[in-house]
Amino acid sequence: MSTDQQDDQGEEDTLVNVADGVDHQVAMVMDLNKCIGCQTCTIACKNLWTEDGGSEYMYWNNVETKPGEGYPRGWEDSGGGWESGEHSDRSPGEIPDEEDYGRAWEFNHEEIMYEGSDEPLRPRDGAEWGPNWDEDQGAGEYPNSYYFYLPRICNHCTHPSCVEACPRSALYKRQEDGIVLVDQDRCRGYRYCVEGCPYKKVYYNTVSKKSEKCIFCYPRIEGEGPDGETFAPACAEECPPQLRLVGFLDDEEGPIHKLVNEYEVALPLHPEFRTQPNVYYIPPFAPGQHTEDGETVDIDRIPRQYLRNLFGDGVDEALDTIDAHRQRVRQGGDSELMELLQDKNPAKQYRLEVFDDE
Amino acid sequence: MADHRRTLALTAVLSALIVVSTVAAPMVSARPAHEIPVSEVSTADLAEPDADGWEEVPASDVPLSSAPSSVPNADDTSIETVDVQAARTDQRLYVRLEWQDATRDMNASATREFADAVAVQFPVNTSSRPPIAMGGPDNRVNVWYWSGSTGTQELLAGGAGSTTPFQNPTVQANTSHSGTGGNATWTVVYSRQLDASSENRTDLRTDGDLDVAFAVWNGSNGERSGQKAVSEWHYYPFSGGPQGPPYETLLWTLAGIAIVAVVGVTSFGIYRTRGAE
Repeated sequence: MSTDQQDDQGEEDTLVNVADGVDHQVAMVMDLNKCIGCQTCTIACKNLWTEDGGSEYMYWNNVETKPGEGYPRGWEDSGGGWESGEHSDRSPGEIPDEEDYGRAWEFNHEEIMYEGSDEPLRPRDGAEWGPNWDEDQGAGEYPNSYYFYLPRICNHCTHPSCVEACPRSALYKRQEDGIVLVDQDRCRGYRYCVEGCPYKKVYYNTVSKKSEKCIFCYPRIEGEGPDGETFAPACAEECPPQLRLVGFLDDEEGPIHKLVNEYEVALPLHPEFRTQPNVYYIPPFAPGQHTEDGETVDIDRIPRQYLRNLFGDGVDEALDTIDAHRQRVRQGGDSELMELLQDKNPAKQYRLEVFDDE
Repeated sequence: MADHRRTLALTAVLSALIVVSTVAAPMVSARPAHEIPVSEVSTADLAEPDADGWEEVPASDVPLSSAPSSVPNADDTSIETVDVQAARTDQRLYVRLEWQDATRDMNASATREFADAVAVQFPVNTSSRPPIAMGGPDNRVNVWYWSGSTGTQELLAGGAGSTTPFQNPTVQANTSHSGTGGNATWTVVYSRQLDASSENRTDLRTDGDLDVAFAVWNGSNGERSGQKAVSEWHYYPFSGGPQGPPYETLLWTLAGIAIVAVVGVTSFGIYRTRGAE
């Protein structure tokens, strides 16, 4: 998470490890304790980027229930990523099929709206799986069942295995901010990126025959809108509970750097894929387990091992740190960490112009 | 003594016959291993895969093997041979390729779907032979490419990963897939004007030999990019007459000498044995 890029060419000392050849690295922190699973981020993204033919099935941003199969179904077991931390050998991966992503269903709108049918509105047939099919299912047994929501976008990794997988260098990590993009002119639809991404966040457009992915809303962060204003990605700005912080990992004054590198409470998803994601998560808290009599007992409702499987071994310390700071504030003390996690000031949540003068 | 003379005479005649036949045989049939004959024809009824004109054009069986490539599953290819025919009028070069493929994969419209494809590769500069795998930065290749999902493309490449389509392709391709099951075959006929209409296109009016290589992809086997069955460099003998290394003649000559030597030694042995009696 830090330190191997030291001052070797008289550059400014930094604790932040950004990819070779990248000036600054965009990053996002999502606080899973705030996600209500409303999918507003999903729709904000879809309306902006994936409404055209061939991209119907794509959700560059999706929110899935954990524990759960996710989107595409079973993506965590679909391979990809790196064999080791040396980033020399990639793990083989699979391309999900349409059923795993979930097809766009046909509904009986025609019958109900125009033919007077009094059937309930429902998919015609073949509705056996889809994104978020297992919403709120979770795991555990009453009264100790549990689930939480996991919003996912492209991680714009420091060691992107999708970039490495492309034999044509059609995918690249852009120099100014480390956003991973697919050059639509170079792409020939081979889909090695789709199978090579362990998060399955590169998608094949079945009409254009080229691959596409989350672009971190780069036109918004570049201020390409009508008023020339800079905006955070739509998934972040549109989020009702404002659970996302957006900025640069190497902005040492910003909340992302503090949460990731100083307090170490924001963790990458599945670090064992070794791509070094730049989207980080504040792991979820849940009430303790209940006895049959309704007494709360001091046993984790979300099994700690499950969280370790998702966020790595750092999750124990992250949860302990947050817990300690909560106690401190409860007892009337101050905590910068608690303030960072509760900040409602957009200027602090979205720090995208800090390097503009360079 | 008379016996001995007869044996000697017989040996001499046998030896002479063997030498004549071994030297004469390759004179008739010899074709350097990597040469693909080109019929020079005046009129062309060759554009379609089943055109009558192709009946007169000799075919070569070109062996294919998995291309060396860093893409996953690069050694998993399924097409082992492609039949190649070529004919040239004073205007166009026609290349007909035929190979067995039980499935007709025409689409790449699902996430896991890949289309069948075939390509012919020429050096841009016909005077030197580029690296076989998509040429090199200083020695580019011009590729005629057809796939079931994209149709015909004309490509330029200067090394693996650099393949770039020409904006206005000048290559035509007509295709057919016929038969069923294991006997089903793809046939693709490419043609192009002999004149190179722009830079980076191969001049087919060359008087020298023209290097050529072939590649086939079986879409239903997930073949795409570097996962492909490819040939070695072959050549069209536009310079007239066999120019390549005469391996076949050389081999036949060696075989002839060996046979003569064996017959000679055997006869000498018999002669000695009889002489000793």
